Amino acid sequence: MEEKQKFLIFRKGPNDAEARYERYEIPLRKGMTILEALFYIQDHYDSTLAFRYACRGAICGSCGLTIDKYPQLACRTQVSSIKTAKKPPKLPEFNFADFLEWDEQNEILIEPLPNMKVVADLVVDMEPFWEFYKEVQPYFIREWNDIAPESTQDSKDAKSIEHLIYCILCGLCWSCPVNASNDRYLGPTAIAKGYRFIADTRLSEKHREDIVDRVWKDDAVPSCEQFFVCNRVCPRGVRPGTAIKHVRDKWSKNE
Amino acid sequence: MRVEEFDAVIVGAGLSGLRAALELSSKWKVAVVSKVHPVRSHSGAAQGGINASLGNTDVGKEDSPEKHAYDTVYGSDYLADQDAVKFMCEEAPKIVVEFESMGAPFSRLESGLIAQRPFGGAGFPRTCYAGDRTGHALLHTLYEQCINKNVNFFDEFFLIDLIKVNDTITGIISLDMTSGELVVFRSGYVILATGGFGRTYTRSTNAIINTGDGVGAAFRVGVPMQDCEFVQFHPTTLYGTNILISEGARGEGGLLYNKDGERFMLQVAPKAKELAPRDIVARAIQTEVREGRGIEDAYVHLDLTHLGDERIRERLPGIREISIYFAGVDPIEEPIPVQPGQHYSMGGIATKYDGDFCESTLNGLYVVGETACISVHGANRLGGNSLLETAVFGRYIGRILLEKDLPTLPSIEDTEEAEKEGIAEIEDLFKKWENNTGKKPVDIRERMGDVLDKFVGVYRTEKELENAYKDLCELQEEFENVSISTTNRKFNFGVVRALELRNMLDIAEVTAYAALWRKESRGAHSRLDYPNRNDDEYLVHSLVYRTEEGLELKTKPVKLGIFEVKERVY
Repeated sequence: MEEKQKFLIFRKGPNDAEARYERYEIPLRKGMTILEALFYIQDHYDSTLAFRYACRGAICGSCGLTIDKYPQLACRTQVSSIKTAKKPPKLPEFNFADFLEWDEQNEILIEPLPNMKVVADLVVDMEPFWEFYKEVQPYFIREWNDIAPESTQDSKDAKSIEHLIYCILCGLCWSCPVNASNDRYLGPTAIAKGYRFIADTRLSEKHREDIVDRVWKDDAVPSCEQFFVCNRVCPRGVRPGTAIKHVRDKWSKNE
Repeated sequence: MRVEEFDAVIVGAGLSGLRAALELSSKWKVAVVSKVHPVRSHSGAAQGGINASLGNTDVGKEDSPEKHAYDTVYGSDYLADQDAVKFMCEEAPKIVVEFESMGAPFSRLESGLIAQRPFGGAGFPRTCYAGDRTGHALLHTLYEQCINKNVNFFDEFFLIDLIKVNDTITGIISLDMTSGELVVFRSGYVILATGGFGRTYTRSTNAIINTGDGVGAAFRVGVPMQDCEFVQFHPTTLYGTNILISEGARGEGGLLYNKDGERFMLQVAPKAKELAPRDIVARAIQTEVREGRGIEDAYVHLDLTHLGDERIRERLPGIREISIYFAGVDPIEEPIPVQPGQHYSMGGIATKYDGDFCESTLNGLYVVGETACISVHGANRLGGNSLLETAVFGRYIGRILLEKDLPTLPSIEDTEEAEKEGIAEIEDLFKKWENNTGKKPVDIRERMGDVLDKFVGVYRTEKELENAYKDLCELQEEFENVSISTTNRKFNFGVVRALELRNMLDIAEVTAYAALWRKESRGAHSRLDYPNRNDDEYLVHSLVYRTEEGLELKTKPVKLGIFEVKERVY
C-alpha cells in the first residue's frame, strides 16, 4: 500500500479575519521534501495555498518556514526524517495561534516564519526585514572601474569572510527572542550583513567605521542578548550571533 | 486600471536585469519588475564561475580574449554569432574587474588576484570564482549596488503579457501578486531578462520559477523563438532531485566512473577527459546508462574522494552540502550519484539579424541573458559563459539605450486602447479558467515535463520527436480547457503557476518542432538518425513563429567570418 503522510498547515487567506489550521494527507514519494509536499497540496487539494519558493536547492532563501516548531528551509527538509531529525537545542517557543491541536507524533506541522506579519497563509511580510537590511547600507561605495588589474586581497582575508557571504537572506534568524519582543530590532541578518563589510579588508577604515556606527544604535548590537538562536537555526553556517559579538567586542574597546 | 509610466521597464531581477538597471537608472526613470525578490533570482544558483581571460594563474598567462572567443565558437559547434562572441570575450576581463570593484567577494590566488579554475572546453584556467557559489556572490553584489543607487524595484509582480501598437512595444501587463491587481507598466523600452525555461522539463537543475515568462509573452505578440532545439543537459545533476553538481567539481579533479569502475571519459575524449564540454560528457553518461553500464540503470558516479577532505571543504563546500542534504552522500567519503539533466537554454527570444545585439524584431523590445538568443552559445554553451553573458549584455543594453535616447511613442489613444484590450483579454482568460471543467494544471505540466524528458532529451530520433510534438499539441488543446479558480487573486500561486504553464507549453511545443526540423547533430542537439553535422543545410539559426496555420519555421544566417568553420573534436 502507498505510504501516506499527514500535514497540519497554518492558513490565513489574505481576506480572512481569523487564522485556522487545515489537515491534509498526501502520498509519500522517496526523497520527498517539505517543499514538494506543499506543492502536492497546492496542485491537488487547494491551488490557493500560499508559500514562497524559487530554487528548491537551498540557495535562494525563499522557503523559510516553521516546521514542527523549528524554523527551517522547506526545500532542504526531508519529509521522511522530520520526526527523527535532531532539532537544535534551546529554541524559543513559537506560537502562531492558541487553538492549535496538533498530533505531534503523526502530523507534520507547517507554520510561517516567526516574528513576521502573515500576509497569506505561509507568506509573511518581509518589508521590515528588507528595510533593516537597507538601513545598514551593506555595500561598497568605491567608484566602479573596469580597468585591469583588479584590486588585490590576501587570500586568507578573502577566506575569513566567506561564511558571512554565504548568507541567503532567508530570515530564519529572525526567530531570535529579541525580534519577538522588539519590532525595531535590526535583527541578526542585517547586523551580520553589516559585519560582512566591516570585516572585508578591501573597505577603507572610514567606511568600516560608518557601518559599525549604523549597527551600534540602540535597536541593534546593544540589544542582542546573546541567545545565539540565530547561530543554531542558520541554514548556511553564517553564525550571525558570533558576528554581532565581534562587533560588540570592538565597540566595547572603543568605549 | 493602474498604470505606471517609466522610461524603461526591465522584467527580471537576476544578473542581466540588475546590470541593465544599474546602467539605465543613472539617467532614466526605470522600473525593475520581478515575480520574486531580486536575491531569489536563479542567477544566484550558478556555482562554478565567470570566464574572463585575465591570465591570473601561472599556466594561464598566455590567455587572451581572442582565445576565449575561439574556445566559445568552437564549443558552440559554430552556431554562435562570432561578432557577439568576440564582443563578449573582449568585455569579459572588464566586467570581472568591475564586479570586483563593486565588492564581489572572489576567491583569491596567493598573489591576491582573483582566482581562476579550469573549466570544460577552455584552453586555460579562465573561470573566476567565489568558492562554488559564484552566482550567489555576484547576484548579491549587484543587488547591493542597486540598493546603493536607489534602483526602483517592483517585487512580486508577474509579467503576463506585452502590449504593442502595430510593431512598437508600449509596455507590459503584470499581476501585482500582493494586491491581486492587474497593473500596466507603460514604457517605450521593455527589456526582458526573465531567465531560462528549464522547467519545461521534469528533470532540470533549474529553479521552479524558470518558466520562460518573457519568452512566452514575446512569442504571443509575434516575436519568434530562436534555436530552441538546443537544450543543454548538464552531465552531472544529483540523481533524484537533479540539483546541479557544478562542473567545478570536475575542474577540481573529480572523475566519472560507470558501474564497472571504468573511467569511460578516457575513451570518449582522450585529451579533455572529464573536462570535455558539457554536451559530450552528457552524451557519454547517457550512453553508459543506455548500454547497461549505469548504476541502478540510471546514473554514474562522480568521485571526489581522492581530492581529500581539506580540498573538498575549501573548494567545493556547496557541493558537499548539497550532496549531504539532498542525497545523503558525503563526497569526502563516497562518490556522488549523478545523471544528465536539463540545465540551460541556448535558445530563447530571437534577436534581429541586422540589429544591435539584444534587439528583437519588435521596436523597443530588447532581450538579455538566458531568455535571449543573442547568440553567444550557439549549439552548446561553455561553463562559465552564462554569468558572463548576463553582465556583459546587461551593461551593453543599458549603454546603447542611453545613447539612442528615448523613443517616440505611438499616440496615447492607441496606447490606451491596446492596454484596455490586453487587460480585457486577461480578464476573459481568468473567467474561462474559472468556468472550465477540464484538467488541473498539474496534470498538464507533469505530462509536458515527461514528454520532453523522454522524447526531447540528450539523444533524439525522428519518431520520438514526432510523438513529442503530437503529445504537446494535445496538451495545448487540453490547456484550453484547464480548470483553476481565479476568484481570489492575492498571492494566488495556483494562478501564477497556470500562467507560467501557458508560457511553457508554447516553449515546449517549439522545442520539439525545431528539434524535428533540424536533421543533423550539432552541439547539444544530437539526432541518432542524423549523427553528423550538416553545415550545407543547417549552419543557420532556427526561428519559429506562430501563424494561423500553426507553427512556421524560418532560418537566419549565422554571423561567421572571424574563425574558420571546422570539425569539433576534443
